Amino acid sequence: MNALLRVRGLRTSFKIGKTVARAVDDVSFDVLPGETLGIVGESGSGKTVTALSLLRLIQTPPGEIAKESVVEYEGVNLLELPTKELRRVRGAEIAMIFQEPTTSLNPVLTIGSQIAETLRAHRVISRRNAAARTLGLLRRVGIPEPDIRARHYPHQMSGGMQQRVMIAMALACEPKILIADEPTTALDVTIQAQILELLADLKRQLGMAMILISHDLGVVAGMADRVAVMYGGQIIEEGPTATLFAKPAHPYTEALLQAAPRLDAPTTRLPVIPGTVPPATRWPAGCRFNPRCRHVWDRCAAEAPPPLALPSAQQARCWLVDEPVRRKA
Amino acid sequence: MTAGGPLVEVEHLVVEYRSGGGLLQPVHTVRAVDGVSFSVARGETLGLVGESGSGKTTLGRAMLLLTAANGGSVRFDGMDVFRLDPPAVRGLRRQMQIVFQDPYASLNPRMTVGAAVREPLTVHRLARGVEADARVAALFKEVGLDPSYASAYPHELSGGQRQRVVIARALSVGPEFIVLDEPVSALDVSVQAQVLNLLADLRDRHGLTYLFIAHDLAVVRHLASRVAVMYLGKLVELAPAEALYANPLHPYTLSLLAAVPTPEPTQQHKPLVVVGEATSAAKPTGGCPFEPRCPHPRKDDRCRAEAPAWHKVDAGRWAACHFVEEPLRPE
Repeated sequence: MNALLRVRGLRTSFKIGKTVARAVDDVSFDVLPGETLGIVGESGSGKTVTALSLLRLIQTPPGEIAKESVVEYEGVNLLELPTKELRRVRGAEIAMIFQEPTTSLNPVLTIGSQIAETLRAHRVISRRNAAARTLGLLRRVGIPEPDIRARHYPHQMSGGMQQRVMIAMALACEPKILIADEPTTALDVTIQAQILELLADLKRQLGMAMILISHDLGVVAGMADRVAVMYGGQIIEEGPTATLFAKPAHPYTEALLQAAPRLDAPTTRLPVIPGTVPPATRWPAGCRFNPRCRHVWDRCAAEAPPPLALPSAQQARCWLVDEPVRRKA
Repeated sequence: MTAGGPLVEVEHLVVEYRSGGGLLQPVHTVRAVDGVSFSVARGETLGLVGESGSGKTTLGRAMLLLTAANGGSVRFDGMDVFRLDPPAVRGLRRQMQIVFQDPYASLNPRMTVGAAVREPLTVHRLARGVEADARVAALFKEVGLDPSYASAYPHELSGGQRQRVVIARALSVGPEFIVLDEPVSALDVSVQAQVLNLLADLRDRHGLTYLFIAHDLAVVRHLASRVAVMYLGKLVELAPAEALYANPLHPYTLSLLAAVPTPEPTQQHKPLVVVGEATSAAKPTGGCPFEPRCPHPRKDDRCRAEAPAWHKVDAGRWAACHFVEEPLRPE
């Protein structure tokens, strides 16, 4: 199957005074039609900057997407597209929802008019038809009494309801790809479960592809077909969800899975990853995880590993793929 | 002081907030904490779990006299803390400390973190001069920070390091009881594990008693020996941690547990998705507060009309549900 979205060598950096933060540094991945790609990582790993770069939503300056980067959607490099044409892709073909619905919604417009505006921006549609379709969208995302809710302002709704509105707005033009950046992080667990179920249902019905960004391994495990793990501005491991969780190839993925508190594990001490994520201005030489890695040997600090393929359809930026005997018990 | 007895006893605690009351606006009274009773034994960690708006933070603050209570009592080591005179309250504050979620917000950005840890020592006249310096260095080591960090400002530290500083500051006055209000919620997974282990070590080393407030049941499980679940200002269940996780009695506890995503793609249980959202604590219905969202198939008119009593079900197990004898079972 041909990839719907093909990302190659994406690099996004930010200039802060004289220092340069290489927030995203050589990221490549594909999104196939209808599939969900999960991107997991801790704060500062570059997941949000990756998502924003895909649609050129990076403020320039201070941000800059390197010229050689490729973000190909249906054969067209979005990074080279004139702004006017890019606008037609944003929202209509690739839509995005964010963690904080409050900051993405206009506080002085009713939610109904905001959804109708999205429709009218991308489609030739009468006001009346836009209003009717808005009600249909609100119903579809599970908002009770849509005719009353459409006249409400964002502050009159709970966080969960606001996120449903954001989803309705993102779906307004039936995009082929939905980028969801931590869509449930600000929500309570019971509401999170509702929103995740809604996203899964909508994806099934509409057959759209999704890029789901989350720091929560559990959320990604339940939703994604494939997972990319980010660390230090790079995808350090990628693979089919079940394989990656069962047999993580990269020591960081493995350590992250072990450090996450869970309901079904013994309540003994949690295994920790020593140290902290380095800042994007000072990535360590060689493998970026090497100062925190328990399998580290001299090659790791000397040479940066490229993505190395495993027979299990996984790939990892780790020299252990090359030299598995180095793996410590 | 009775050894082995409860260190903290909370009885029928009520905290109300008033909202509205502006021009042409009626005054609403919100019962953020609505008649809550429980006790914390010496040396134990009691987990307090609930979603946003459940009143868990208000409860913790009221216990430490940081928010005024409107009724009920809190006894610390046998003393009724609401009836103490100001000098006695000052003494009490040394014994009860709190750690908040956001360490950045609880540290003064213009003060070095060393000065932040030193300040309580000065305020409570526990140490000064070189002695205070030595105490600060020892506290830094105790929380796993190099004492050289003492001259750093909060923005120069990572989130995990800042939370260690806040913990060191809480420890500086030698408390017996610490309220941990979402202490790891703002931290990344890898750092979260470090701080949870540190909290467990400090508890074991100093015989500390914790009230561990969190929204995340998986996090609480790693530290708490007993867990209380709160919903719209009321406790709905309290049980030894193992029993609560293996066999929840209240449908809300079960719903919460079922909603936690598991990092195990092959074992995705069909989540029991609770419908709707918490109604506001401002509009009590008279019935069970969870009734509108309750997935229990047997729920009936009684649930709508009559709030279930908080009662002892079994040894150490309390719950507030009319159907506690026939609880819902996880699939």
